[in-house]
Amino acid sequence: MAGEEGAGQEKGFKLLGILDVQRTPCAKDAILHGAGGSVAAGMLFFLSTSRVRRTFDVGFAGFMLTTLGSWFYCRMNNAKLRVQQRVIQEGIRNKMIIMTCCCSHNIS
Amino acid sequence: MAHPSQLGFQDAASPVMEELLHFHDHALMIVFLISTLVLYIIVTMVVTKLTDKLILDSQEIEIIWTLLPAMILILIALPSLRILYLMDEINDPHLTIKAMGHQWYWSYEYTDYEDLGFDSYMIPTQDLTPGQFRLLEADHRMVIPVESPIRVLISADDVLHSWAVPCLGIKMDAVPGRLNQTAFITSRPGVFYGQCSEICGANHSFMPIVVEAVPLEHFENWSSMMLEDT
Repeated sequence: MAGEEGAGQEKGFKLLGILDVQRTPCAKDAILHGAGGSVAAGMLFFLSTSRVRRTFDVGFAGFMLTTLGSWFYCRMNNAKLRVQQRVIQEGIRNKMIIMTCCCSHNIS
Repeated sequence: MAHPSQLGFQDAASPVMEELLHFHDHALMIVFLISTLVLYIIVTMVVTKLTDKLILDSQEIEIIWTLLPAMILILIALPSLRILYLMDEINDPHLTIKAMGHQWYWSYEYTDYEDLGFDSYMIPTQDLTPGQFRLLEADHRMVIPVESPIRVLISADDVLHSWAVPCLGIKMDAVPGRLNQTAFITSRPGVFYGQCSEICGANHSFMPIVVEAVPLEHFENWSSMMLEDT
């Protein structure tokens, strides 16, 4: 069991050695969106201006902004889902308690 | 519990630890982006052929590299302060347990209803049964009811110790003559391991903490059984 878990942990991929994109929620999507945004922004800029060096700068800025935007959007949605999950869990628990009380009342 | 060569946090077993994990992910993403930016700037500086010996100042970049770090710090500080105050929220504990650190074991006292107290020694390696964890198992676990607010009062009998359970997000120093308080709620049943986190002598590494969260019925049975034994 511990070995299987250890094998699963070793497969995590860390960008720059710090960000585990596989285990961190929203990280993989944010980085992928950032890469896509970077390529798109860079290509558009280059096609319109043909300036190579500045294209890299624009591409990098696109990466940062897209990654941040995707990250916060995903995190906000996850937070809302977590709140809903807690409400549902609480509702299920209360329902089970009520059903248990009703059953014991009927039996008595 | 931790697994071999683990670098990250353990899975959370309490709501506070879940929040800490989320904050850590948030801060780490910011750190990653800053590192990427610095790396990009370094590469740009190395490969650029642009040189201008007459640059004296530039208001635009000064404004950018003043405002941007300020915004980043606010972005990190706000969730951090939120969690800080969340951890100090006053709740109504269902159970109060006293954890005393000794050289080299922990003792737990459940004195809310009856006088229940016991010592928790590490199980030596040669006495472990198959499936038990080396240097982590204890002969008596601190059993608590799951999903109930628990208050732990921590102190020490001799030297400094520290009561730490990583998956609950708890670490509190055990100081002789002082009573420190911490509170937590376990989100799920299970067994959660920790180790003494303040150097306290020769066997500092051999006084683990084991918290077992069980349903309330099981907790009541366990406490009755422990009272009978004592």
